[in-house]
Amino acid sequence: MDHAPRPLASTRSPSPPPEAPAAGAATPADPGRRDFLGAAFTIAGGAVVLLAGLDAAASGETHVPPPGGDAYNWEEHRWAYVIDTSKCIGCGSCVRGCKAENDVPDGFVRTWVERYIVGPGGSYVDSPKGGLDGFPPVPTAFTPTKSFFVPKMCNHCKETPCVQVCPVGASYRTKDGVVLVDGKSCIGCGYCVQACPYGSRFLNPATHTAEKCTWCYHRITKGLKPACVEVCPTGTRAFGDMMREDDPVRQTIDHERVSILQAHLLTEPQCFYLHLDMEVR
Amino acid sequence: MEHARHVFRIALVLLVVITAIFLGRGFLVPRSYGTFGPYRADNVAEQMKIRPPAHAGAASCAPCHKAKSEAHDAGGHKAVSCEVCHAPLLRHVTNGTVSGKMPVDRSFTLCARCHRRIQGRPDKFPQVILEQHVTSKLEGAVCLDCHDPHSPKP
Ligand code: HEC
Ligand code: HEC
Ligand code: HEC
Ligand code: HEC
Repeated sequence: MDHAPRPLASTRSPSPPPEAPAAGAATPADPGRRDFLGAAFTIAGGAVVLLAGLDAAASGETHVPPPGGDAYNWEEHRWAYVIDTSKCIGCGSCVRGCKAENDVPDGFVRTWVERYIVGPGGSYVDSPKGGLDGFPPVPTAFTPTKSFFVPKMCNHCKETPCVQVCPVGASYRTKDGVVLVDGKSCIGCGYCVQACPYGSRFLNPATHTAEKCTWCYHRITKGLKPACVEVCPTGTRAFGDMMREDDPVRQTIDHERVSILQAHLLTEPQCFYLHLDMEVR
Repeated sequence: MEHARHVFRIALVLLVVITAIFLGRGFLVPRSYGTFGPYRADNVAEQMKIRPPAHAGAASCAPCHKAKSEAHDAGGHKAVSCEVCHAPLLRHVTNGTVSGKMPVDRSFTLCARCHRRIQGRPDKFPQVILEQHVTSKLEGAVCLDCHDPHSPKP
């Protein structure tokens, strides 16, 4: 190896002020810079092509087997939920059933029941412990003219605000229409908890990851109903498959006058309500 | 040729940086990420078997509690699953054999959760004002003095 520093210093002096005619055609461009730019562009371009190719290879595969294997094909289902508020008696069996089924931590609920007591003079809304132990009688300052229960849960929106804000791809919507949280990827930042307009998410204090209703994905993929539907004694809650024409839930959604929560947010919830009062948000 | 040396040096740095990015990406991005969308596809199968289903429905008790089941299915509580008043089957039976004691809640609060007259309940649902319906002391298993929980009659 010869001594590089000396010639390096000497080459600097004769060259014109480096900044002057950068890409000017008149002055012969510094060969070093040209080479440098050329090499840099080649490498950068190559990297871009490589990265793009890698992503395309990852997402472009069309013949990936569905995750359930042969037993359950998620392309053949699209789940939906119907809640008939006029039938709900506010017993909280769904809240308890969900807790028992999913090991929901104390102080949190994945589904809950709200009570609305409404009169001309005012309105009163409560949900003690999410309705876990039922509801007590309450005195109201006004004379109520109507009162009703509204069970709530994750709406499994088609246009999910919660999935959109997840920075690590831990929240996602499956092909059969269920919004899930990947507990292994979740970093517990809580953006999704804030983003959900229905308040259906929380951070599990033990795992520090986001948690929410999964429509009992471990049950529905085995042909069972979600636990809340299974235990409901009045038929308030119904769960069904929009891909099956004779499904009662699909029939209800197709033929009855259903409504959704906070339609103005355009989140396209997949929980549909019957007999919903305008007081309910 | 002296100028070229700069180029090689920079190129080398770039190469190292890009290799580092690729290696880092390989380590950090989970294997199945992106198969179906911007998420870890393996999680879908994980969610399917995250835990065994706990509730098995009212019919699941029938093989071992035939008389109770028949009475239940014929009575006023046929819509109320056994698991609502007791507990999920998994607490009691695993793989077809009894593995745990099924809780029995005899207190009036169990019935009150559904039948106490409160604001919000639909009018047509059978409900009672506890304090008026029960003339004796309202405690413990009072409701069972007069009602059979498995087949209540009005
Ligand atoms: C595999 C058979 C089997 C099935 C299925 C089964 N049980 Fe039992 N159960 C038993 C046996 C045996 C006993 C008595 C042993 C004991 O007391 O632990 C019992 C006892 C009970 C008791 C009394 C507990 C006590 O403290 O006296 C209750 C309540 C009960 N079962 C409820 C249920 C319900 C509700 C279901 C359905 C969700 C169910 N069982 C399903 C076998 C079964
Ligand atoms: C409305 C609530 C309710 C439902 C629904 C219900 N049980 Fe019970 N069960 C009770 C209560 C309360 C007792 C305690 C009865 C007593 O001590 O007299 C009990 C007791 C039992 C016992 C123990 C019997 C004994 O004498 O120790 C068995 C077994 C049982 N239930 C099985 C079932 C099965 C099977 C079903 C579903 C077919 C069912 N129960 C549904 C509330 C319920
Ligand atoms: C999970 C909710 C639930 C619980 C807990 C429950 N019930 Fe019921 N009960 C019902 C439902 C639902 C009906 C059927 C109502 C109907 O026919 O519209 C019913 C019906 C009845 C009836 C018959 C009313 C009629 O007109 O036929 C009586 C009596 C009754 N329950 C008493 C009890 C007693 C006593 C207990 C406590 C051991 C109890 N219930 C616990 C939900 C419940
Ligand atoms: C002293 C006996 C007795 C006791 C204790 C008792 N009941 Fe009753 N209950 C009756 C009789 C009799 C009827 C039917 C006549 C009626 O509707 O009052 C009845 C009816 C009911 C009905 C049906 C009401 C309707 O509108 O159809 C419900 C629900 C009920 N009881 C719940 C309870 C609950 C909950 C408890 C415990 C807190 C309880 N009962 C305790 C005797 C009793």
